[in-house]
Amino acid sequence: MLTRIAGGRVVDPTAGRDSVSDVWIEDGRIVATPDRGPDRTIDAAGCIVMAGGVEVHSHIAGGNVVLARLLLPELGVSEPDAPNPHGSGRDVGLLYARMGYTTAVEPAMPPVNALATQLELAEIPLLDRGGLCVMGNDDQLLQLLRDRESADAVRDLVALNVATSRALGVKVINAGGADAFKDGAVRFSLDDEVPAYGLTSRQILDGLLDAVEALKVPHPLHVHCSNLGLPGADDSLIETLEAAEGRRIHFAHAQFYAYAALDKDNPLTGGFKSAAPRIAEALARHPNATLDVGQVVFGQTATISLDVLRQFAGRKGASPKKWIVNAGDAEGGGIVPFRYRDRGPTSSLQFAIGLELMLLSPDPERTILTTDHPNGGPFTAYPRILHLLMDKEARDREVAAHPKVAAERSGLAGIEREYTLTEVAQLTRSGPAKLLGLTDRGHLRPGARADIAVYRDQADRTAMFARAHRVIKDGTVIVEDGEVVAWTRGRTLQLSVEADAGMARRTESYLQGRFGAGLSSFTVPDAAFPGRRADEPVFEAVACRT
Amino acid sequence: MTAWIDGQAVERDAAVAAAAELLAGARSPLVAGLCADAAAVQAAFDLARTVGASVDPAAGAAVYADLGALASVGAMATTPAEARGRADLVLVVGQAPWTAGLVPDLAAGDPVRGRASGRPRTLATLGGTGDGAVRHVAYPAGEAGIPAAIGLLRGLVAGRVAGPHPLADLAARLRDALYGVIVYDPAEIGALGAEMLTGLVKDLNETTRCFALALGDAHQGRTAMQVAAWSTGQGPRVGFGRGRPEHDPWRFDSGRQVAAGEVDAALWLAALPAPLPAWTRTVPSVALLGTPTGSEARIVIAVAVPGETAGAALWHPGRAAIAWHEAGAPAAAAAPDAAAILADLHDRLAAAPMRAPAAPTELSASC
Repeated sequence: MLTRIAGGRVVDPTAGRDSVSDVWIEDGRIVATPDRGPDRTIDAAGCIVMAGGVEVHSHIAGGNVVLARLLLPELGVSEPDAPNPHGSGRDVGLLYARMGYTTAVEPAMPPVNALATQLELAEIPLLDRGGLCVMGNDDQLLQLLRDRESADAVRDLVALNVATSRALGVKVINAGGADAFKDGAVRFSLDDEVPAYGLTSRQILDGLLDAVEALKVPHPLHVHCSNLGLPGADDSLIETLEAAEGRRIHFAHAQFYAYAALDKDNPLTGGFKSAAPRIAEALARHPNATLDVGQVVFGQTATISLDVLRQFAGRKGASPKKWIVNAGDAEGGGIVPFRYRDRGPTSSLQFAIGLELMLLSPDPERTILTTDHPNGGPFTAYPRILHLLMDKEARDREVAAHPKVAAERSGLAGIEREYTLTEVAQLTRSGPAKLLGLTDRGHLRPGARADIAVYRDQADRTAMFARAHRVIKDGTVIVEDGEVVAWTRGRTLQLSVEADAGMARRTESYLQGRFGAGLSSFTVPDAAFPGRRADEPVFEAVACRT
Repeated sequence: MTAWIDGQAVERDAAVAAAAELLAGARSPLVAGLCADAAAVQAAFDLARTVGASVDPAAGAAVYADLGALASVGAMATTPAEARGRADLVLVVGQAPWTAGLVPDLAAGDPVRGRASGRPRTLATLGGTGDGAVRHVAYPAGEAGIPAAIGLLRGLVAGRVAGPHPLADLAARLRDALYGVIVYDPAEIGALGAEMLTGLVKDLNETTRCFALALGDAHQGRTAMQVAAWSTGQGPRVGFGRGRPEHDPWRFDSGRQVAAGEVDAALWLAALPAPLPAWTRTVPSVALLGTPTGSEARIVIAVAVPGETAGAALWHPGRAAIAWHEAGAPAAAAAPDAAAILADLHDRLAAAPMRAPAAPTELSASC
């Protein structure tokens, strides 16, 4: 069926397009203007037409997301007609789709828990999904690095883990930090040694950066640095950026590192100010780097992280006063409930720094919008955040409502920039799609997947982005006026990567020794998803870079 | 034979049709047991949502003892493999862990990873009678019982108990250990015991490392717990009667509901062995069983045994995770997966299918 989305203002930065025109779709794909009439017309007059939104970092599945719900039953509760971003996978899918998002990536899938994570991802309807395979604290990798095995061996182990867990990319979380925590450490930086291995965090990072490059994984290594949330954490991010030595690298939730210590001699007690200018400047100098923001928004949330060392160190800030830290096989996980208080000086400053980071961005395609859901707050805050980026006056009103320290210790108040719709599309569509290496989305050029969001052009940008007028996924209208009209199931994107047979044999022996269970126990076979029809497969392959 | 109605063998399709009819006519149905693989548990939740049923897994007591403590104070835990690799002290609380395979397994080796590597592993028990074949240090729990003894131990560790005490030596061992692991069965020590134990573990981590290690339950409760969390946003015992999931461990306790006469039809799912509740013969019920005799309920349908006659995603106690289990026995003429039967029931009962209505050819713009 040939469909014409007619007369909307079409915004596609990848084609330099911002004009009132048509978008044509057929068989789930965008096509060039055809020489025949449409079978169906979707009137988009007065609307903004963009590609479907793409999420790169949101904790929407996995053992720790499950535990967060069980720790805080009150946070995930279902109310009539009020879907909850902390609730079921169904609610998560609905809430993303309603905002015009059509793809979302869970960034923290430990290979030891890949099957449960993938089962959960498959239960998030409406969206295409993916998971990043977490490495960097697992004993098999640390042993290879300690024994100075070849870069090829590290590459093969990474490939095997990605293939076995059916991941879309690779993430490292405070490399070596979880292992150090198990041996009693509470602080850990890039050049600290993992006690039992005599390896520094830097060496682990280096090995993984090389492996991801060698495998031609489209998504660069997704890095959660050490010292998250501490005054002086900007040093960790910049050191890690320098350590990449030009290799592609993605920094997760950079806002939580954009904290310059006020007192360099006593960084942990002297408070912090915004390091957003420093990070924006570093980003401008390093075209190999990208970041997502991890914007803070106000209210109750649960922080969920595999950085058990930092979660343990932050446990006394739990609100309410209950928390989980699990020393798992490799990372495990930590869940610390937290309330970002809108009259709290620290939360307000964090809020200002996140906005400042995006507004100082030298390239919005490389400063992706996230809240690190649910760590900075729920993803449902995106419409309000976009509004503030686009409207200086609204921003000034917002800042005025918070403690003065937010304006004094950040540069937010002095920034005049207002994001254009093109920049919004870069921040939420073309940027994240390019970052994930998904060439079939994030744009509206012929050949793209027909994942399209149509918004009413309203001055109230919060309202506009909160409930899309229409959302189209693979050519099917799934949302109308914010309500789901077709519960499609989406697919889970997995990287096509071959595992080396020799490494598979070595790993089989390692896993048997450690768990009494071999590789087959760690697989994610299609047979685990028997509820899906043959013509509706769960997984879709994504090719490596050529 | 694979299906029965009132004890008489029937074609499977007739049994499924009768089951659909039974559930369709129910005003307050129950879906219980859930002793099955993740796909079947998922299908059971989907069915319950569709028919407005309440859901109660067989694994009740153990799951609830841990969930109660988790929601009150949180947790600080480790895995069996990490305990085996790193622990220099294993404290076995109570009696139940001694009959699980984990304790002899932990007793068999010394730590090989991390800072405790090279140290010997000490086994101790609080309130357990131990196992003569495993060398260990035994500490009596005292007349007040195990939860109270854990409380005393916590007080001793924190220096809040004055004077000599029979558990003072155990407290010192826990403080001195580099990677202590406390093994317990939530069903044995209850929610208050588990909560106190978590407090003890968290206190110890102010100066060293120590983690709790709960025994899993025998009836896939940990699978049901995870599927419940992602399907409803809550832990299990949930009701869909009002069209949305409501979590209430008391209200949706199947035993209580049946005793109070609140249930008018039920589905019992036990693809893996689980004790059959008496009510499957008193409440009009469908039973999906891995090893049926045909007389367990009004309608009985045989299903594959996950991990035996069919590959399945099941809780793996050694890995403490949902893991893939290959089929063991040859699958010739095997019964269908429980998930397939439940999906069939779901499709027959779905009033409003989750499929797109035919798209109109012209969509108006209202912007």
